[in-house]
Amino acid sequence: MAAARRLKRVAVSQPGFLTLKPSRDPSDLVSGRRKRVNKNKKKNWNKHSDINDVEEFLEDVRHQERTTGGLLSEKSDDSLFFLDVGQPKKAEQKAEESVEGKKRKGKASRPLRIDLILQHDSLVPPAKDVLSYQQPNAKKLRRIAQKAEQLAAKGVVPRRQRQLLNRRPVDRTAKKSATEANNNPDREYYDMWGQESKESADPWYLQQTGKRQVKRPEKLNEKPSVLPAVEVIAPGGSYNPDFLSHQALLQEAHDVEVKKQKQEEKLERQLAFNKEDKATEETVLREQVEGLVEEENEDEEAAADDEEEDVAVGAIALSEKKTERQRKRERAEKIKEQQRLADRKQTDQQQQLFQLRSIKASIRQREQKTKSNQIKRKAKQEAQKSQPRRLGKLKFQPQDLEVQLSNELAGSLRRLKPEGSILKDRFKSLQKRNLIEPRDRAKFKRRLKVKYVEKRAFKEIT
Amino acid sequence: MGGLQKKKFERGAATNYITRNRARKKLMLSLPDFRRLCILKGIYPHEPKHKKKVNKGSTAPRTFYLMKDIRFLLHEPIVGKFREYKIFVRKLKKAYGKTEWSTVERLRENKPTYKLDHIIKERYPSFIDALRDIDDALCMCFLFSTFARTGKCHVQTIQLCRRLTVEWMNYVIASRSLRKVFISIKGIYYQAEVMGQLITWLVPYQFSHDHPTDVDYRVMATFTEFYTTLLGFVNFRLYHSLNLLYPPKVCRAPKLIPGLQSILLFLIEQKLSALSASLARVVSSAEEEEAELDQFPEDMEKMEAREKEQKQQEAQRKMFQGLKFFLNREVPRESLAFVIRCFGGEVSWDKSICIGSTYDVTDETITHHIVDRPNIDKQYINRYYIQPQWVYDCVNAKILLPVEDYFIGVTLPPHLSPFVEEKEGDYVPPEKLKIMALQRGENPGVNEEEEEDEEEEEDDNADEEEDDEEEEEEEAEEKNLKEMEDQRSQGKSLQVKVTPGKVKVENPARLEQEEKAEEKRLAIMMMKKKEKYLYDKIMFGKKRKVREANKLAAKRKAHDDAEKAKKKKARK
Repeated sequence: MAAARRLKRVAVSQPGFLTLKPSRDPSDLVSGRRKRVNKNKKKNWNKHSDINDVEEFLEDVRHQERTTGGLLSEKSDDSLFFLDVGQPKKAEQKAEESVEGKKRKGKASRPLRIDLILQHDSLVPPAKDVLSYQQPNAKKLRRIAQKAEQLAAKGVVPRRQRQLLNRRPVDRTAKKSATEANNNPDREYYDMWGQESKESADPWYLQQTGKRQVKRPEKLNEKPSVLPAVEVIAPGGSYNPDFLSHQALLQEAHDVEVKKQKQEEKLERQLAFNKEDKATEETVLREQVEGLVEEENEDEEAAADDEEEDVAVGAIALSEKKTERQRKRERAEKIKEQQRLADRKQTDQQQQLFQLRSIKASIRQREQKTKSNQIKRKAKQEAQKSQPRRLGKLKFQPQDLEVQLSNELAGSLRRLKPEGSILKDRFKSLQKRNLIEPRDRAKFKRRLKVKYVEKRAFKEIT
Repeated sequence: MGGLQKKKFERGAATNYITRNRARKKLMLSLPDFRRLCILKGIYPHEPKHKKKVNKGSTAPRTFYLMKDIRFLLHEPIVGKFREYKIFVRKLKKAYGKTEWSTVERLRENKPTYKLDHIIKERYPSFIDALRDIDDALCMCFLFSTFARTGKCHVQTIQLCRRLTVEWMNYVIASRSLRKVFISIKGIYYQAEVMGQLITWLVPYQFSHDHPTDVDYRVMATFTEFYTTLLGFVNFRLYHSLNLLYPPKVCRAPKLIPGLQSILLFLIEQKLSALSASLARVVSSAEEEEAELDQFPEDMEKMEAREKEQKQQEAQRKMFQGLKFFLNREVPRESLAFVIRCFGGEVSWDKSICIGSTYDVTDETITHHIVDRPNIDKQYINRYYIQPQWVYDCVNAKILLPVEDYFIGVTLPPHLSPFVEEKEGDYVPPEKLKIMALQRGENPGVNEEEEEDEEEEEDDNADEEEDDEEEEEEEAEEKNLKEMEDQRSQGKSLQVKVTPGKVKVENPARLEQEEKAEEKRLAIMMMKKKEKYLYDKIMFGKKRKVREANKLAAKRKAHDDAEKAKKKKARK
């Protein structure tokens, strides 16, 4: 209490100290009877000393600082007082104007009350956060920077930068070429057949690591057909053909067409309804009574069959053991037969001696026949080489001949109408040369059934 | 007795073949991928000799491959790439489904691709092998380059095909190796001789595409993929064999400004495709010396013949040298420019048609103006106005044909196929005979038709004529004798006069021929019976051919006469 009082005394005793609040009566401080307490204990000291006056003073100081930004006693007179010379006229006008302006602008220009309440009204600046200004290891870093500056002045490049400088630039193009598509229009080519690259590494190593190309079988280099890649159209296919060659081509096309038609007709004939198969009254009746009449006959036949079977079974059962005599006779007969056959053979062979000429002739004939067969087979094989083979489910269907009729022929190149499609021609050529198998276009298979439903609106009309 | 039981279909043919489906499973590929792999690697299905044995007793038609081929396929690194691609597609689909666009982009960037270079090297170990197989590649590339960009195939493929075909055409122009051209109703057939190989290819007409539905585009695209790679490498090699730059550059190319590079590159490409400028060389053409054949001392005659032939060929290659052509806008520009430039001519067209025109219509030095319309308004006196067929026919005939038959409005002579080679005794159309006569250097007169007929006869019975001449001489002698007899019978005294003897001029060539004929006759007489039989057969065949040819000629004549009569009627 004494300390507080002392403090107050100090503050009040200072010259020019102004308090904002009206000072209380000093008699208040010492009101009532003094309570006698031993203040030799810290607890008592804390409990019974009166510090209100100090707190008030401090509060007052804080209040002053908050509202005016400093102690009033330290302020200059100019900032505290001004000379009152009455209200200036302009101010009035201004006020009117401002009123008008307010009216014009309305409420929007006035700040909200809540904002005003929340506004920071203290003039004491907020305390600085020291930690936000502090830098850890500032000293060390400063030293490092200084050293770097020194080195830079000398012209020494730090190691890290040196490494960066020494690093090779990333080859962007290399990556691009690795991912370059096959059909890139600007792709590059090189001399493929120029120099034979020699295998430098150990062949065993290359083979084991799968780095060596496997040798292509020789047989694969043979072409599957002897036909040329491009078969030139017959001379009749010229845009302005010679009369006879054009006629020849037309004839060829005509023959093909006739053949096709014949086949179609044949098929139709085979599929046509046969008049004999037509149901007449008689056949209908016969069909209806099938199995009802003539039962007796069948029964008899069946009975006969049964009897025969019985007999057969009986024969097996009845077979007896042969007697010794019978066996002997049989053996003798067998030997005799063999003898007879051998004799016959011998005589035949002897007779052949006289037939030598005819035998020779027959041999020659046979040889000739085999030779001619051989030639035929060879020729057939040769012809087969240029024929399309059967490589799949479908047979090769040759393309329709491209032909322009005499009245379709254009007199000049300008009016020429191209016939057929080259794409199809190439495709068929590939098939003809057995490079690909003839194939149908894959059919579209619907996985789920389509259900047709009439809309209600449509139903109502119909 | 004893030993293991032999089971069916465990040895022999059944183990040499594998069905397509089993092969596919063995390679763990889907059917389209398997097909692609087979096409790229050049492995084709095979028809077994005994189907039933191979098919384990069944006769159902199946596609078979040789087991060894499939085993060979197992080593192919591309198979792995196919699998990667499959996975890539799956991931991409997933990313699309989840609308993860960044993932889509990343996947797209790392799209797995593969190269076919090693396959080409493997399938064509030497350059000449590749050149032998280039026909197909050319056809396919020319075909794909004319496709519309409608999504039937990748636009990039079309562009690549276009680039490669332009390069090829420029090579043919630079090497002057075109031999034959045939304009058919399908497309234009060209034949060139490159490094001793005859290469034929077919070029479709522009804008003539209906897309047939029964063609598998995927298969065709795979073939094209392979062939573009092949053609590119072949082009590279060919260009370098001529000391040309590859990728090709046009002579007098403008200097590249860095900012405009891409545009200029595009322009150069356009210029190349215009086919009007010559290509830049690694070594300038002036320095290049023409290689002469080594002289061998023996066989002088052969050497001379060869030299003569070579000179002739050289002349043919420079057929259009010095001629200046102008193409009207209705003629097929690319084809004509290609053909004309192949034979050394200069060619230009209207500026509005295409880039690369070198001179204008008004140029006074133009010698030939190619027109394909019935009449033209403004005509210059100092140039020929001809129809495009003249150029093609000249190329096939290997000489400059008379232009009269090809003027505007004239009915053209038929365009004959240069790919038909007539054997002795075959029917030869009169137009071709005329051309042959021109080639021999004879000049058919004004009255062409008679000439034709004569020639036909000449050709058909060349030997007979010789006989005729002999007969004529004999007849002349007989006539003399007859006159004398007549005079005698009339009672006049014979005008006996001794005239100085004339030395009978003996034609050595003729004598030689006679000798030869005699020898031949004797040889025929001395033949064995068997050989004689064969000989007779051959001769009979020849005669039959001649007879047929005569028949055709008669038919033609009848046709021509009928036409003429018709024309006359029409004129009246």
